[in-house]
Amino acid sequence: MTNDEIFAKISAKFPKVEKAAVQVKDYLTVRLAAKADLVPFAQWLKDNAFDMLETVTATDHLGPVDMKGYIRQQNFNPFLPDGATPQIEAVAVAGYAYRPVMDLLYVFYSVKDRARVFVRLEQPRENVSVASLTPLFKSADWQERETFDLLGVRFEGHPNLIKILTPDFTVGHPLRKDYAHIKDRFDE
Amino acid sequence: MAMILEKLPGLTKGLPGGELLLTTSDYFIDLGRKQSMWPMTFGLACCAIEMMASYASRLDFDRMGVIPRASPRQADVMIVAGTVCKKMAEPILEIYHQMPEPRFVISMGSCANCGGPYYDSYSVLKGVDRIVPVDIYIAGCPPRPEALQYAVVKLQEKIAKMSLKKGLATPQQEKGSRDINA
Repeated sequence: MTNDEIFAKISAKFPKVEKAAVQVKDYLTVRLAAKADLVPFAQWLKDNAFDMLETVTATDHLGPVDMKGYIRQQNFNPFLPDGATPQIEAVAVAGYAYRPVMDLLYVFYSVKDRARVFVRLEQPRENVSVASLTPLFKSADWQERETFDLLGVRFEGHPNLIKILTPDFTVGHPLRKDYAHIKDRFDE
Repeated sequence: MAMILEKLPGLTKGLPGGELLLTTSDYFIDLGRKQSMWPMTFGLACCAIEMMASYASRLDFDRMGVIPRASPRQADVMIVAGTVCKKMAEPILEIYHQMPEPRFVISMGSCANCGGPYYDSYSVLKGVDRIVPVDIYIAGCPPRPEALQYAVVKLQEKIAKMSLKKGLATPQQEKGSRDINA
């Protein structure tokens, strides 16, 4: 099944779902309009042979921040010689511009058709809260916990939304762009 | 009838009867300790691959008396092979305290020495010597298996200097593990 055929099926059922501006490799990448679409869309995918949820993750698109954060220079390139001008994109790339947005990504796989659908969902990055997919896909459990742990996305309806990777004494969500590390007992 | 054990190979033949050996207790105990360094088996990152290579038949750690043990209670030396995350720090400390004394620590690779490439990370301990005293540091990312075996040779040299009078510490443990002149 080609990408166009999958997208034609999707548009017939969900007319508001559109192709994302930036495609992930050569897979079909779609963007949901609202977070209320997520569970019906996932349910529809599950009923239409996309029966495996491969990945749940998110990207923080906040731009260059202060020195306490992890981005220190726009388009930082360590391989440039001293004094050279950093490479600034002439035109902002749609989908990759800095903006205060948390971009969620779900990857569905169809074992039967050997096809993948990448589903993106943009949310304002403060207090992100979307529905959990654990009632539909068991594989969402730990991945949603990881996304919560590292990026602070809350998944409503998750049975056990607690830290999975960082130790208990880590304060905050380390992969958020405005994360500032608070020294713990193992730092000097 | 007495002899010095250091000169044993040359003197064995001339020993009449051979019932009695005379040596210093320090030398005799250190000889036993240094010839069978049993490490606790655990690897934390890619350095563990090099550690496994040293145990394997091509480089053959067994010939130096180094046999990996699966329990800290049977181990003499802990080879910290890899990145020590802060979450892993407490299990390492627990393993260290479960090992019988005298116990030794080899810090293998840049990550275990000082944090290495993860020095600016929120989750990595900046050197395992912040939680346990380290006897030998091996530089490298990762160090070659030969470097690990050389570290064991240097540790044996260090154990040979240990003395019952001074307790169970190696000279470096007494002076502080980062004193390079120890």
